[in-house]
Amino acid sequence: MAADLTAELEQLHAAAFGWALSCCGWDRTAAEDVLQASYLKLLDGRARFDGRSSFRTFVLGVIARTAREARRRSALRRWLPLASLMLGPEAEDGRPDPATALARADETARLVRALGRLSGRQRQVLHLVFYEDLTIAEAAVVAGVSLGTARTHYERGKAALRKLLGEERE
Amino acid sequence: MIERDDHDLRKSFAALRREDAAGTPPFPATVATARAREAAAPGHRALRLAAVLVAVAAVVVVSTWRERNGVRLEIDLATVRWHAPTDFLLKLPGDELLRSVPQLGPRGLDRRTL
Repeated sequence: MAADLTAELEQLHAAAFGWALSCCGWDRTAAEDVLQASYLKLLDGRARFDGRSSFRTFVLGVIARTAREARRRSALRRWLPLASLMLGPEAEDGRPDPATALARADETARLVRALGRLSGRQRQVLHLVFYEDLTIAEAAVVAGVSLGTARTHYERGKAALRKLLGEERE
Repeated sequence: MIERDDHDLRKSFAALRREDAAGTPPFPATVATARAREAAAPGHRALRLAAVLVAVAAVVVVSTWRERNGVRLEIDLATVRWHAPTDFLLKLPGDELLRSVPQLGPRGLDRRTL
């Protein structure tokens, strides 16, 4: 059972890392931390798959929740200096790390910059649909929003992204 | 769900996915690092537990001290009389006539007038 779960996670690993990167604003260190914490939740049974969605959707949802928790902890650390004693070391600052940014090709660097200027929800929905090849309904489940809201974010996000990419090319 | 005119976005995201995939850390290393961090975590868990215990102990000490020293916050409801700001609306003209018994006798009735 655990071996099956590990094998399934290994199959999804690249997609999961890409999603973790997106959830952490392309900060590689933060994405690795979030992915590790998510895998622990899944492997230790703290996050259980109940079959209500596809396994892929479920795993991406766990990563999204873990990233949100990490952001909340990070915000708490900023407000309460002593909280770092309880919450452990901080890894993310929510910005792409310079090494990753430098290594990107021009076209993808433009895309990452443009995505960074979209609202969080629009970025999530577009990433899930175009990068992870999910349907809008599946993206709504992962993002934790209604189908109608996901559709709105998808349409507005696409329009905004095209505009931003156009501006970047000029 | 992706429309035909979204081909440009699809292509851009595919390039991004290829780049990210090239830099993905190996799965076994990710799980091993996660396990190693978990093994190091009991320190934090113990610290969290200690903080909760300290908070509970503080509450117990303070409540015990207050009980022993007779420091109690009591509100005697019998001494509190509250009047609604709209009470005056309940007062009718001539209300006192309805609440008092008419006087009969030497003071209330002048026999000479009968």
